[in-house]
Amino acid sequence: MHGTVITITSGKGGVGKTTTTANLGCALALRGQKVVIFDGDIGLRNLDIIMGLENRIIYDAVDYVEGRCKLKQALIRDKRAPELYLLATAQTRDKTAMNPEKMVALCDELRAEFDFIIVDSPAGIEQGFETCLAPADRCLVVTNPEVSSVRDSDRVIGLIESKEKDRSVHLIINRIVAARVKKQDMLSVDDIHEVLSTEIIGVVPEDEAILSSTNRGTPIALSGKGPASAAYADIARRIMGEVVPLQPPQNGGLLQRLFGRG
Amino acid sequence: MITIKGLRQGLLIVLGDGTWHEQLRELEAKLAVSANFFKGGQVTLDVKSMALSRDDIERAKALLTSFEVQLWAILSQNPETTRNAAALGLEHTLPSPAAPRARNGSPPPDSAPGRGSPDDLATGEPAAASEHGDEGTDGVLVRRRVRSGQVIRHPGHIVVLGDVNPGAQLIAGGDIIVWGKLQGSAHAGALGDASAIVGALMLHPSTLRIADTQLIQPAADRRRTKGASLARLGDAGIDITAWQEK
Repeated sequence: MHGTVITITSGKGGVGKTTTTANLGCALALRGQKVVIFDGDIGLRNLDIIMGLENRIIYDAVDYVEGRCKLKQALIRDKRAPELYLLATAQTRDKTAMNPEKMVALCDELRAEFDFIIVDSPAGIEQGFETCLAPADRCLVVTNPEVSSVRDSDRVIGLIESKEKDRSVHLIINRIVAARVKKQDMLSVDDIHEVLSTEIIGVVPEDEAILSSTNRGTPIALSGKGPASAAYADIARRIMGEVVPLQPPQNGGLLQRLFGRG
Repeated sequence: MITIKGLRQGLLIVLGDGTWHEQLRELEAKLAVSANFFKGGQVTLDVKSMALSRDDIERAKALLTSFEVQLWAILSQNPETTRNAAALGLEHTLPSPAAPRARNGSPPPDSAPGRGSPDDLATGEPAAASEHGDEGTDGVLVRRRVRSGQVIRHPGHIVVLGDVNPGAQLIAGGDIIVWGKLQGSAHAGALGDASAIVGALMLHPSTLRIADTQLIQPAADRRRTKGASLARLGDAGIDITAWQEK
């Protein structure tokens, strides 16, 4: 049992959990890690679409848990990286198809096979979130630089901290626009850190290439091009334990003053 | 005479003497007077040796529910009462006062006692309204950041070492002191004590109440109260004064 279970969560919807899951999975796999990305949003299957693997799904995690297939059959190999797999979720079921105990048992099996199991949690703080949180060794909370997203992240971090199990919690600030921060239209990295007081593991700049790559089913981290891809690569290296200094977001702004105080 | 205490699991209400009907009337009066203090809370009723039927317990539960309070446990020395409480799915013992959950491994800076359930309490008695500063009154010390959605409710005083984030809630029978930024909502004197105060190193609450008076804080006010400040109830509502002026 050696693999690490990382749950990607946020509270608020639409902040980029699934995109983060896909790209971190790719970035880790490209660095030689054996990775499975696991769609935890039962009934609202999305991760397979972002990965462009929708038409390869025959069995999903719920099929395996309910005994209709072998684990191997539910793991979809993504050939674009050496050892990257997708575990899809059921499209026609609801959150009751899984529970924390089943999730922990499934992830324990996956730990034996993989270095990293990355779980994409559904939005919200209800049953689906609890189920995806249960197996986690560490949590990455994705937040956008806006007040409502930060507020929800705060709530989620509080919930994670209130559990018996000891987990590390890190923050990913997603979709930051340097120019808008400078004009004070957008919360800065410092503003967010002041409220959440949680260690930041990455800052992903807003990048138009994300939108097109998401629609094409080719996560941007696979291309290795552009500022967002570089940010995901840095996060992957930090997850693997490397010390990589936080870079100022590079989507065209002077952000030095934000990080100068460091 | 009803007494209220704070527990890790919520509030403990110890009922007095008299018939069940009288007790419930007294409880209702108490809830009505301090509705905001109890609202959203979780309650354990200590009914001593009184024999209660399931219907009796259901009446108490319904009464509490009507004030948006959840009945969590019934404590009693009477086995019949205990059995009936258990049959209704209620707890009938308190977990032994275990040490606060410590985090494994190297403790992060905010892993102090008090980290736990969102509605986080330690034992304590209500603050005596007329005895501020005499022999000291009970309270709870919270050594961590209080995050959005978390509620600290205590019949005595609440002292927080850390920030109280927007969306968090402090409800105290006595005073509230925050050694940090108070940006959430605070209600001091929530059991009716108009002499209660709210103090913080940075006092920017989203809402602030003392006893039954609510502060309506215009945005411009925020700039005036920069440093450590104290809020107390004056003749014309809540006054906020900078600590330096004291």
